[in-house]
Amino acid sequence: MSETKSKLVIDNDFTPVTYDPQYILMVNKLKKYFPIKGGMISKTVGYVKAVDGITFNLKRGTTMGLVGESGCGKTTAGRTILRLAGEKTGGQVLFNGKEVYDFTAKEMRSMRPKMQIIFQDPFSSLSPRLPVGEIIGEAVREHNLVPKAEFDDYIDNVMDQCGLQPFHKDRYPHEFSGGQRQRICIARALALSPEFVVCDEPVSALDVSIQAQIINLLRDLQQRHNLTYLFISHDLSVVEHISDTVGVMYLGNLVEYGQTEDIFSEPLHPYTKALFSAIPIPDPDAKMNRIVLEGSIPSPANPPSGCKFHTRCANCMEQCKTVAPEWKEIRPGHFCACHLYDDC
Amino acid sequence: MSDNMEKKTNTEAAGEQHYSLNDDRRVKVLSPGAMVAKRFFRNRIAVVGLCILAFMFVFSFIGGIVTPYKEDQQFYRIDVQNKEYAGVVLNKDFRFAAADGQSFPSTVQAQMVIAVQKGETNFSYHDVNYSMVKEGEDFYRILTADGTTLAIAYKDVVNPSVEGTTLSFDFKYNALKAFTNKQSSFTADGKTYAMDEIGVVTENGEEVAFVNRYVVQAILPDVFLTRSFREELISELEKGAETFLFTDTDGVEHEYIVEYKPAVQNWIIRQETETRIYDSYASPSAQHWLGTDRNGMDMLTRLMYGGRVSLVIGFIVEAISTILGIIMGGLAGYFGKWVDMLIMRIVDIFYCIPSMPIIIILGAAMDAMSVDPTIRMVYLMLILGFLGWPGMARLIRGQILSLREQEFMAATEAGGISVSRRIFKHLVPNVIPQIIVSVTMGIGGTIITEASLSFLGLGVKFPFASWGNIINDVNNTYVLQNFWFIWIPAGTLLLLTVLAFNLVGDGLRDAFDPKMKR
Amino acid sequence: MAKKKSEGYLSAKESRRISRENRRITNEFEKKRKRKDVPESEYLTQMHDPKNAVEFDNLHTYFFTDAGTVKAVDGVTYEVPIGKTVGVVGESGCGKSVTSLSLMQLLQRPQGQVTEGEIRLNLGDKAYDVTKAPDTVMQTLRGNAVSMIFQEPMTALNPVFRIGDQIEEVLALHNEDGLSEAQMKERTIELLEMVGIANSEGVYRMFPHELSGGMRQRVVIAMALACNPRVIIADEPTTALDVTIQAQILDLLRNLKDKINSSIMFITHDLGVIAEMADYVVVMYAGRIVEKGTADDIFHHPAHPYTIGLMASKPVVGKKIDTLYSIPGKVPNPINMPNYCYFKDRCEMCVEGCDGAYPCEISLSETHKVSCYRYYDAAKKED
Repeated sequence: MSETKSKLVIDNDFTPVTYDPQYILMVNKLKKYFPIKGGMISKTVGYVKAVDGITFNLKRGTTMGLVGESGCGKTTAGRTILRLAGEKTGGQVLFNGKEVYDFTAKEMRSMRPKMQIIFQDPFSSLSPRLPVGEIIGEAVREHNLVPKAEFDDYIDNVMDQCGLQPFHKDRYPHEFSGGQRQRICIARALALSPEFVVCDEPVSALDVSIQAQIINLLRDLQQRHNLTYLFISHDLSVVEHISDTVGVMYLGNLVEYGQTEDIFSEPLHPYTKALFSAIPIPDPDAKMNRIVLEGSIPSPANPPSGCKFHTRCANCMEQCKTVAPEWKEIRPGHFCACHLYDDC
Repeated sequence: MSDNMEKKTNTEAAGEQHYSLNDDRRVKVLSPGAMVAKRFFRNRIAVVGLCILAFMFVFSFIGGIVTPYKEDQQFYRIDVQNKEYAGVVLNKDFRFAAADGQSFPSTVQAQMVIAVQKGETNFSYHDVNYSMVKEGEDFYRILTADGTTLAIAYKDVVNPSVEGTTLSFDFKYNALKAFTNKQSSFTADGKTYAMDEIGVVTENGEEVAFVNRYVVQAILPDVFLTRSFREELISELEKGAETFLFTDTDGVEHEYIVEYKPAVQNWIIRQETETRIYDSYASPSAQHWLGTDRNGMDMLTRLMYGGRVSLVIGFIVEAISTILGIIMGGLAGYFGKWVDMLIMRIVDIFYCIPSMPIIIILGAAMDAMSVDPTIRMVYLMLILGFLGWPGMARLIRGQILSLREQEFMAATEAGGISVSRRIFKHLVPNVIPQIIVSVTMGIGGTIITEASLSFLGLGVKFPFASWGNIINDVNNTYVLQNFWFIWIPAGTLLLLTVLAFNLVGDGLRDAFDPKMKR
Repeated sequence: MAKKKSEGYLSAKESRRISRENRRITNEFEKKRKRKDVPESEYLTQMHDPKNAVEFDNLHTYFFTDAGTVKAVDGVTYEVPIGKTVGVVGESGCGKSVTSLSLMQLLQRPQGQVTEGEIRLNLGDKAYDVTKAPDTVMQTLRGNAVSMIFQEPMTALNPVFRIGDQIEEVLALHNEDGLSEAQMKERTIELLEMVGIANSEGVYRMFPHELSGGMRQRVVIAMALACNPRVIIADEPTTALDVTIQAQILDLLRNLKDKINSSIMFITHDLGVIAEMADYVVVMYAGRIVEKGTADDIFHHPAHPYTIGLMASKPVVGKKIDTLYSIPGKVPNPINMPNYCYFKDRCEMCVEGCDGAYPCEISLSETHKVSCYRYYDAAKKED
């Protein structure tokens, strides 16, 4: 059945989870390492541990926000879940109960319409020499989702839902503004009637007023088509607005996960706290009691030992330097990995 | 509460539909093709290149149809030449004629001459004794020891008057005897002949032969010199004349030029004849605007046909290289891993091949096998095309490698698009600008390669013209210095064509580059 | 189908006409620019208020492109007082970056030209009109009197020179105090420490690729401060950085503000950053200023519908709303703008007067000015 096996399996000590139908996506200790080749014969001298064991479940019809700074591995996590980044290094990804990495190439291709992605940079994710109608419609045609007679109407309908007009079909991507290009990307994903969409920083490259439009559009489509989103972003205010659950990543690990209200009202992990305090507030009179983190993010190829955050943490203790903290459920539905809560 | 209702007036002409500020149709932009064209035509040098190319195409293809001459049509001209007609020599040495059935070798002749000089009547050679009898002035008869006539030695020559006849030994002997003794008749072979003072021998009034100290011989074949010609000539010679007029049997008067060569003590008689020769190296004139070449063919026509050949070869070779290059480069770039390794190592091997020596060897081989010139051109194109694909493959592979990592390719993978569609609809159209630029530059290079090969005599062969093989004539420095119209037009056309291709290629590269400021 | 494709594209005749017009206009400007030996009197001027570092006076900067004339900055007037920070807010295409480029005269010529207006730069004892100053004079001013911090720290530094060399280059070029080499090195190390780089000696010898984004931005800030400029233009300096690094850089800039006496022109689209940094705020839309005032005016009493919309569309942590407010429509294409309020087609608070010509500027208070018909009546009543 499975002809594709992971080439590199470093740590396969996860307990497989049983499928729970309310969760469209179950990620269990997912790992993705990139080998670093060095030396004369390109031997593998080390690994960039982009995703180092993340675990979460995603309920159908909800949105999970994944936040973190650049280099934390959230983009790689999104792509690894969709099997767009080569082979996984360890762990499980269950989509509707089936392991994504066990599909054959042909099965995978037919599964693609159900799991879509919207990229961060709207310009480079659109093929420069194809007209917009082609870009949106080619996958639909490829998978024969709609009979030929209804094809044009279907595309017009999809474009209309995304705020585009029919005469846009013949234009080329470079003639559009950033917001419109993102709408085209959304239309492209939506045209395939997906169940699950990974939104990889879809509004970071856009202006503020357009951000709001796109976020509203995504919300609207979610309600209409019962979509499930994995919303990856570094913008906490947007994530708070759109997500039902939030996961915070740092250097390839999830440091905190829980319901949005819980996380934002009572952040547990020191990194989360620092992150929240760093957001600039549009009120000149607001008091800034900012936790400013020292130093910069370490390299994922050479992460610190023990708790990966210990080099920048204000609450660093002795054991943080040597022992990695456990991923525990501190409050109901609210997970965290920090030695501060070892005795909870 | 403003009362000036300047509603919806655009600065454009009235009647044009007014769009709200939110509508994309309000502002028109240039289509992508128009943008490239605009940037290209803004570049004046590139437009100059384009004009030169257009001219070359019209010149080669349409000119070839319009010209009245054919590619290998040869032209002739009438040339008046002084050809060597006859030679005259005053016989000072003894000549010998052996009797029928006898032999008188040259060694014995030498002995005889020595004896005459000494004034002896007997001589011997290798213990064989010979004796001489003086029959007349400078006329001797040589006898063997037993008295048989061996040969005669003479200085006056007996020539037949009638073409085609030969004179017997006996006749010669008796004629000479009569001549040297100033007799008026003699008998030989049972016939009686009369002889007059100047040595004309008649038989019953008909001229048979004449005897003379001067030897007049024709140089041109098929020419028979009559006696009257010889007599008049000799009399002129004795007068020391330099020209000589003679009316021949047809009644046509010819002028002959007499030239004395003191070194060999003979005269050369030259006749002015008109001959029809190839009109080679004719200077530019109204009929031949650029003159003619070595074989008498019209230069302008050959340039036109040559242009066709050079341009067509350039295009076809480039087309072959490009198609092969796209396929190989595309496969290598898209699939990566071992396919890429394999194809790139093949490319490396091709780069190690010394192309010039290979082409020279193949050219020489085809020469040896006497391959038909048309087939030879086809082979040439195939070989050049096949040796040229590695460059294009490398270029395309590089482009595809970088394009493959772009997000839109990940998007097509996420959409589950098939591999062939990904390569041909998404990757290749983005590489086309580079391909166009590389092709235009490559054609210039190919034309020069073909011209070089033809110049060396290994490319396009006669009778087909090609700009390179037209220049081949200047192997000879005389032609180089004196006949500028042979090589300067062809060289200029080559230079301009290749330059134009390069200018157009540069202009296209600038036009396609989205980052250029203008 | 082919007809449909070409509809909406410029025809060849039109594009030729546009090109001809552009060429004529730009040739005129270029001729003026390329004169040699321009006397100082042409660009010497007087500041209207000696307490201002820069005064933009009815600035018009146009780009003459193949698709038409883009009026990137179309009548912009504001001042930057000495020692204060002015935040310029607006979205992409509003002209805020072009304003700063006009100040530095770094526009892409021949398409980009300052067609009208003045920019008066206060140099202490005298004032120059930057738009009329020739390139030679501008070279002495750039880096010296006016310096810039760019958006992309990853590409702002030259990858083949060491950090120390790059900062010293600025010092050496404008060496007005006649510093020796050793003194320049000292000053460079001082600058690196001032921007919060702990290992200043080490970083002095490093190459840019060895530093992270935040460190590089600090180095760029050090370069900007090197010659004690009068105006620092910060063009979206933290947009490309992570939120925690952004916090560090903003902290740094705030601390420096007290130490140095320069004015900062802070260009960004992030209202939160503006609230932290700016004393005065200028809101731009489609090449014109729609509202300006102190930070207090703008954030607590926003007047223009665009400003109100901008503030409402940014989700704030802690405030739970069902649907995010979003301004309908999109930023217009700046070619061939009509003569009515640019925001009209997106505005949800239109009044009758909005059908008229572009509204003039109305003073709501001494510091707070807005261009909107909603305040016309109030202004008229006051008159």
